Amino acid sequence: MTAESVAEEYGWIRKAQAGDAPAFERLYRMHVDKVYGLCLRMTGNVAEAEDCAQDAFIQAWSKLNNFRGDSAFGTWLHRVAVNTVLGRMRKSRREQDRIRAVSDVSATPEMIGDSGGLRDLEHAIDELPSGARHVFVLQAVYGYSHDETSEMLGIAAGTSKAQLHRARRLLAQQLKTECA
Amino acid sequence: MNETDNKNFDDELMAAAAELATEVMPERDLWPGIEQAISQPAKPARTVWNSVWAQAAAVLLLVGGSSGVTYLAMTDGAETSPVAANGPVLIFEPVAGSFGSMYHLGPDYQDARRSLAAKVDEELGRLTPEERAEVQRNIAVIRTAIEDINKALAEEPDNALLQKLLLSTYREELDLMMRVDGITGAAMRRGDI
Repeated sequence: MTAESVAEEYGWIRKAQAGDAPAFERLYRMHVDKVYGLCLRMTGNVAEAEDCAQDAFIQAWSKLNNFRGDSAFGTWLHRVAVNTVLGRMRKSRREQDRIRAVSDVSATPEMIGDSGGLRDLEHAIDELPSGARHVFVLQAVYGYSHDETSEMLGIAAGTSKAQLHRARRLLAQQLKTECA
Repeated sequence: MNETDNKNFDDELMAAAAELATEVMPERDLWPGIEQAISQPAKPARTVWNSVWAQAAAVLLLVGGSSGVTYLAMTDGAETSPVAANGPVLIFEPVAGSFGSMYHLGPDYQDARRSLAAKVDEELGRLTPEERAEVQRNIAVIRTAIEDINKALAEEPDNALLQKLLLSTYREELDLMMRVDGITGAAMRRGDI
């Protein structure tokens, strides 16, 4: 973001904090793709991601006065979105249906960048168990550190490392199976 | 597959993941739903009722209320209620109550309560010292609860749970006073016969 757009965003934030809904709509328009993208990656489900993104913005509105500008607004929104996803998943048992065993195979790995590779990767990420998926998405896709990831997810840094390792292993198995 | 293959695959995996789009536009506009949700008046936050004395007030209310009701139910069933003549005058002052920053007890309720309290003061003199002491003890428990809840409301004026509790405590008090009035009235009639 340029300094100009940061200043503009700050203005909308101040107005929204004072209860100005149109100003909050501007913030929504500026950030909806980031929030929805994160929700989609974390849930792996379009309908659930839409609900999560909506809930995240509603939560953000109610907690807007807590935003002090210590981090970028987008980062703050990301944290709200992560909490929303986790909160919804805790309430839902649907997640349990997602977990499935990935068979252990030993095939020669193909290049991920080959035809349809990214699409396969997205699909494979969607199939990960939630704990591994959340850590992988935040670290490998969004570039958060172990410490940031563990703080956002409310887990120990060691757990975050273990989940990332697990995600890589499961993804490798999944992608190799699809390539075989 | 050797370690080098694994390392290469891992590197490719992470590189490919970093290429995935992080910003995705939803297929439908989510704003109307958000706008509808945020335009509704905020519900009062459910605050955690963590003050020890406020919890103690609830316990006192429960114990006091139940023992009062039990006592009165048992007394009410007695064949005869001895009348204590020339009993001491009892003070039965109404407790000032408020319902946080938004509500106050109405003047009609205050008047009715004051009038009933004055009547109960008179009627209490007709009970035996033991009965009178028991009723007074129960009333004191409820009054203490009312005061404690009011103190808690002074700190959390918009706590809906406290407001509800205060209202039900006033109801308990009113109920107790009406029962005392009923008991002494019945005793009088029996005594007159």
